Amino acid sequence: MTNSERTAVKQPRYEIFAWKWMRYSAFLLIPLVWIHAIIQDFITGGHNLSLEYVHMRWAVFGWRVYDIFLLAFAFSHGVNGLRQVLLDYTKSESVAKTINRAMFIFWLVFTTIGAIALIYGVRTP
Amino acid sequence: MRDNVKIALPGYVKYKGKGFYAFILHRISGLATIVFLTLHITTTATVFFAPQWYDVLVEIFRNPVIMIAEIILAFFVIYHGVNGLRIAYVDLIRPDLWKKKPTRKLMSASLIVAIILWLPAAGILGYNLLKYGFNLFGS
Repeated sequence: MTNSERTAVKQPRYEIFAWKWMRYSAFLLIPLVWIHAIIQDFITGGHNLSLEYVHMRWAVFGWRVYDIFLLAFAFSHGVNGLRQVLLDYTKSESVAKTINRAMFIFWLVFTTIGAIALIYGVRTP
Repeated sequence: MRDNVKIALPGYVKYKGKGFYAFILHRISGLATIVFLTLHITTTATVFFAPQWYDVLVEIFRNPVIMIAEIILAFFVIYHGVNGLRIAYVDLIRPDLWKKKPTRKLMSASLIVAIILWLPAAGILGYNLLKYGFNLFGS
């Protein structure tokens, strides 16, 4: 199957954007996610995680920027992927619309929660 | 009516004959990752919203069952990355490779690369599981 055949079906403009987004964000996510996982799981180690550790890490502004990038790219890539999986199981245009709205709200809620925590940082109890 | 509707997962196992396991594995690994990611964002966000919960939640993630799930998740994330790179490369740079033979070759290649990359990760995570999960090696 050639690429032109794969994309021959007429799609709305945002679907073409989403299709490209999945691929371009993938290139960025490879280094972002893998560096993050290597540092947190292997260099730091999950057993060393604590409130103080997060506090220390986020004291460095660069790591907050790094985490903002992770949140923005990884979660939008993930939610859009989930949306595409769900859309594959419906024939109805109205169900598809509901899925799109639900996924947008899902994305917005968790991105906001993550972003607020990242911006305000650790709250000392 | 929407085009290109895929009715069910079992239908896809037999998608175009055989061998399209990469499609299934890519979806399953992606779904597992988004579930983890949602939990991960929520638990990490407690450092601001409910700091007294954070250490409690981290403690739950040290449960041996979850540590085993982590080893599987590591494979999923690595496979999803390697296989996703293949898809992005072929779609954007070499669309002429979307033919049965090269697809099958690249599919196997991404599975093998993923397993090779996963082995050291599984080794380290497995060591941590034995050490912290089951308190072996004295600590």
